[in-house]
This record gives sequence, structure tokens and C-alpha cells, in this order.
Amino acid sequence: MRGRALLTTVVAIAGVAAGGAVVALTLTGNYADDPVAVAVIALVVGWSFLASGLAAWWQRPENRTGPLMVAIGFAWFATFLVHSRNDVLFTIGTAVENLDLVGIVYLLLSFPTGRLTQLTDRVLIGIAVVLATAVELVFLMLGPSTTFCGDCPRNVLQVADHPSLATAILDQQRLIGAALAVLTAVRLVQRWARASPPERRAAAPVLLVGSGLLAALAVSATNDALDSALGDAPAWGLFIAVAALPIAVLGVLAQQRLARGAVAGLVVDLGDTSRPGDVRSLLARALGDPSLELLYWVPATRSYVDRDGRPRVLPNAAEERSATLVARADQPVAALVHDRALDHNPELVRSVASAAALAIENERLHAELRARLADLRASRARIVEAAEEERRRLERNLHDGAQQRLISIAMLLGLAEARSTSDPDGVRPLLAEARTALASAVDELRELSQGIHPSVLSERGLDVALAELVRSSAVPVAVAGTVGGRLPVAVEGAAYFVVSESLANAAKHAHAGSASIQVLLRDGALQLVVRDDGIGGADTARGSGLRGLVDRVEALGGRLAISSPPGRGTEITVELPCA
Amino acid sequence: MRIVIADDAVILREGLVRILTELGIEVVGVAGDASELLRLVSAEKPDVAVVDIRMPPTHTDEGLQASRTIRERWPGTGVIILSQHVRPAYVLELLRDGAEGIGYLLKERVSDLEELRASIERVAAGGTALDPSVVTQFVTRQSRSSDPLADLTARELDVLKLMAEGRSNKAIGERLWITQHTVEKHVKSIFAKLRLPPTEDDHRRVLAVVAYLDAR
Repeated sequence: MRGRALLTTVVAIAGVAAGGAVVALTLTGNYADDPVAVAVIALVVGWSFLASGLAAWWQRPENRTGPLMVAIGFAWFATFLVHSRNDVLFTIGTAVENLDLVGIVYLLLSFPTGRLTQLTDRVLIGIAVVLATAVELVFLMLGPSTTFCGDCPRNVLQVADHPSLATAILDQQRLIGAALAVLTAVRLVQRWARASPPERRAAAPVLLVGSGLLAALAVSATNDALDSALGDAPAWGLFIAVAALPIAVLGVLAQQRLARGAVAGLVVDLGDTSRPGDVRSLLARALGDPSLELLYWVPATRSYVDRDGRPRVLPNAAEERSATLVARADQPVAALVHDRALDHNPELVRSVASAAALAIENERLHAELRARLADLRASRARIVEAAEEERRRLERNLHDGAQQRLISIAMLLGLAEARSTSDPDGVRPLLAEARTALASAVDELRELSQGIHPSVLSERGLDVALAELVRSSAVPVAVAGTVGGRLPVAVEGAAYFVVSESLANAAKHAHAGSASIQVLLRDGALQLVVRDDGIGGADTARGSGLRGLVDRVEALGGRLAISSPPGRGTEITVELPCA
Repeated sequence: MRIVIADDAVILREGLVRILTELGIEVVGVAGDASELLRLVSAEKPDVAVVDIRMPPTHTDEGLQASRTIRERWPGTGVIILSQHVRPAYVLELLRDGAEGIGYLLKERVSDLEELRASIERVAAGGTALDPSVVTQFVTRQSRSSDPLADLTARELDVLKLMAEGRSNKAIGERLWITQHTVEKHVKSIFAKLRLPPTEDDHRRVLAVVAYLDAR
């Protein structure tokens, strides 16, 4: 800050001194027709550039527009050396007489960042620099000062005497310069056409004045090349256009400062937002970017989501859009994704973001709560549905299985009864058939009741039930660890369910060769890890089985994590509080 | 007598065929679902179709719908619905278009061969055969207001149930070991106590009794 203040002061003093010198030169020189008018214009335009350049530099040190304008201001003053009676100063003044225009073209092409990014723009500036320096020097080396002004000091750079060639070069330089001005204007129009509304708003005054200036420059240069066919008017037009440019830049700066005034309004508006989504529209209004998006930070996944909870990635540097992060107490809260044009006014975005941080966090917490409630509701619905489906399955199994077997037995007995008098010998095989059918019915009922709830679980607890499960598993399973006692009924049931479902999946879907179970009771919580060496790729989004496991575990306040990279097996980790 | 059977469970289908064959009843075709059944009825014009209520594709009440179609298109074919459940609502649905040639029996009922034969013969003759369990469910249901059934004697209640099953006075008499004349006396008394208009027709009588039991 101290360095910047010092630099600004030095530049300001140098600017004042340069202005004074130019006034002195102009008034003491005998070159100008109206020295006072020229001096006043020189001073007003030069100081305007310096002042608005310093203001821009101060407000936005990382932006090159400020220093560029200061340079243009000094270049402008330097062109007035042509009014000097001193040969050397006069020659220098002549040599640099078009540098200010090069600076202005640079300013227009690079506005508002002060940096050229397009190759076309760089080529244009390159040509302008060559015209203003190399071509100018060649011209000065070839002819005496009388080729371009009547009663001037001596051209100290002259080494040869080819006045007609020098004049021809000068005319060509002016015509090419005019063409360059037109091309630059075309570039500005192209840029305008491609710009987003916020970008247009940010650059409008400068682009408008710049286009006028380039037109005036083209006309003026052509006029000079054609021996001033239009008189002094084009030169005056150019003067006025150049004088208007710093005012336009100041206008843009003021507009940006004004935009920051919108922050105050935003704070007031934020005070009475009650509906979700309001914050986004208020921010969009304050920043003048209707396309603004508000992304919320989700600490659990360390990522951003949009209003509807969909995961989102922040735009990178190469994209059209840009992101500003919002934090509270060093914790990320949200990100504003906005038009790249707003990058030219980072203070505005930052102050808007910090003014809204509290409201955004509030909204984020609401969104999180909504998401959790929605999860909870969905999970409850799924649990009810699963129970309903389970009952339907049971009814079907009973109806199609045991019940039908019993009916068929009744039929056999009916047949046997009917035959008992007419054909006593035919009864025996019917009874044998009925006995076999009865045995199958009992088997079927046993399996069914085991599926409803394994009796060993309620009789002996999880350790024995898991051992039984492992014995009947289709894949070999290694078990590590034991519970050592009884756990709450719901926990035992959920743990058993998780293991039996996981082992069934390992055999059925994962085509696993082996599996392992790890059981650990620690800090009042049951930890279960079921691993297999199958094909992986298990996902709760697909298949209701895993979803059902998650629901069942979460309903008991537990957690279930699935790691199942394709081709690298599946690992299901469950933690169930036993308190 | 010619019969077709429709049931998707092979084990029950085979059992039924064996039983009916044992009873000397000719099984002219078996079907695994409702559309097969309708084709079979259309082709064979059997006396009775014995139909499982729950069949593919939806496994809900395909048999019930098929029976309505059969009664509409082939009035000469009676339908006996076999069900594993006691469902008064289905019975009422079944009786909506009249009680002629209609039966609703629980599957286990088929193990009583003589009863089965009687039911099939009744339905084939245009009568009605409702399962005793269903009738009992109608009778034992709590009535909304003071129950006129409470005024019936135990014997009258027995007669009422047998009437609701679709049995004739003769059959009721045989069942209860009483003379047909006594049955007629009971029936008159029941109709008077329940304030039902007397009717001679057996299947009209079923409708009236069931409607009364359901509405009470």
C-alpha cells in the first residue's frame, strides 16, 4: 500500500511537471497557430489520461488499463516536443508523434483487462508499432524537416536527402495507419457482437468512444495523406475523440463503483427474504448477471451441488463462466458461478458474496435439511414397501406351496376314503403318496419359516447364526471375530440380514470365489465387514437388495458403506450402534 | 357328465382329474389359464367348468372374470369357482347376475368326493353351490342393528345355512335327518321371522337369503 501510494505520488508529480513543460514549450514555440488553445488542449487531454489512468491503477492494480493510460498520457505530452525550438527535442517529438495513438489502439483492443489475448490484436498492434517507430525513423532519415513543416528546427536524424521518397513514405504510413484504425474498429464491433450482456454493460462507454476515435483517426490520417483536402476539421475531430476517451474510462470505473453500491441494497433485501431461491435472484440482480448460479457446498461429500441437489463441478479457467467462492469462518459455504465479465470487478463479486454469505449458508442448511428429510421419507416409504412386498411374497409362497400340497393331500385322502369299501387294495398306495406329500409340505413350511426369521438367531444369537449362514453359503467364507454375547434383537436381525444378503449377492451376482466376514464389537457399536473377490460393480442405485440393506441399517441409526470397484471385489462395511 | 378344469397348479389339476375320474365324471379338457379355459369351453360346451380363481397372468381373480364370460356366452355351462380363500365379496360378485349354474367352493372341499359330486350335479342342473365356510362367514358376521337371526332356533339356523349353500328342501332334509315336510315348515318360519317374501325357486331362494345376510 505504501509503495503504491509513493508510486502514484511520483507519477502524479511527473505528470504535473510534464504538463507544465508542455505548456511552456507550446507557448514559447512559434509553431502553433493558436498556442494558448493548443496548450489548454494538451494539458486537459494529457492530465485526463494521467488522472483516470492513476485512478484505474489505484482501484485495480492487477489490471493493466491504468498503467497503459498513464503511459498514453506521457506519450501524449511527448508529442508536443515538436513545438520546441531545440533541434534535438523537436526531432524526438517528431519521432514519437504517433506513439500515443498506438497506445490508444492498444487500450481499445485490450479493454477492459489491458491484456491482449487474441493473435489478430497482437498483429494489429505490431503493425502499428512498426509504423510509428521503424517507418517513422526511416522517413526522418531520408528528408529534412521542411518536408513536413515550413518553419521548423532542424531534423537531426536526417542522413540522406530524398525529400520526395520521404513524403511518399509519410503518405503510405498515414494510409496504412488509417486502414489499421478501420481494422481495429472492426475488431471492436466483433467483440461487441460476441459479448455477454454484463460484458457489454462493462465496456460500453469505452467501446463507443473508441469507435468514434478510430473513425476520426482513419479520416484524419487519410486527410493528411491527401494534403489536408478536408482542412483542419479531421485533426480537431481526432483531438476531441482522444479527449473523450479518458472520460469514458472514468465512466466505466464509476459504473463499477456504483455497482458496489448495490451491495448495500442487497443487504437490505437479504433482510426480508423468506423463500428459498430468493438469495440467488437477489445476487443476480445486484451483480447484473441474470445467468448467475448459486452452488452449495456439501461438507459430507466435499463437493458442490445445485439447488436441486445435483452434484456440480466449478467451471475452470478456460470456460466462459467463472466462479467466486463464498466462505464463512474459513469454511466453504457456496460458490457463485457467473459471467466471466464480472471478473473485471472482483471487489464487487467478493463484497456481494460476503454480504450474502450468512443468507447463503442459511439457505444451504435449509437445502441440506430438505435433502435429508426427502431421504428419510424415501427410506421410510421403501421400508414400508419392502415389508409389504415381503408379506406378498410370503402369501404367494404359502398359497403356491404348502397350501396346495395340503390340499392335494386332502384329495388323496378323499380318494382313499372313497376306495376303502370298493377297492381296499387301492388304498395303500394312496396313503403312501399322501405321506410323501405331507413330508414335502413340512419341508416347505420349515424353509419358509427359516426365511421369515432364522430361529437360530433368536435362540443362540448372532455368532451361531452367522456360523450357520457360513455353513450353508454357496461360496467359502472365512469369519474373523465374534460378538461374544447377545445384542438388541433389531441389531442382530439387521446384521444377519446384511451378511446373508451380501453372501447371496457374492454367490449370485458377483460370481465370487471366496468371501470373508469380520465382526467387531467396539465402543458400543457392532462393526461388520463383508468382503468378496467377485466382479464388483455393486451399486445401491441398482438393485433393491442393497438399497434395502442401507435402509434397514440407517433405520437403526447405523451406517453402511459400499466399495465395489469393477473387477476388484465388493466390500460392505456396516456400523450398527447397540445402545 | 362332461367337465373341464382350469388351474395353473399342475398338482391340483392332476388331483382333480383323478378324483373326477374316480367319480365317473368325464374330464374333457384341462386349462392352465383363463383364455385357454374359454377356448376349451367354446369348443367342448361342457356341463360344468371347474375354475381356479387365481390364474396367470396376474394371479388375482382371472377365474372370476372368466366365469362371468362363460355364464354370459354359454348359459348351458355351469361354473364352479375353486378358491383357497373365504371371500364373501367374490361370492357376492359372482351372484350379481343370478345364482343359476354358479358354485364357489374352497379347494379342500374337493376331498369329500360325494359332496363334490353333489355340488357339480347341482350346478350342472342350473342350481347353486356355495361353500359352507363362506355361508358361515355371512351368518356369523355381526349385524349392524338388532339381529333378526337371534330370533331363529338352532335348527332354523342350520336350515338357513343349507339354503344359502344352494341346497333343495329334499337335500336339506337328507342332511339333517328330517322329513321334507319339516324342512318346509322351518323354511316358512324362517322367511316369516326374517320378513322375506316366500319363494319356491331354489336359486332365487339362495339370492334372497344371501342378499339378506349381506344387507343385515
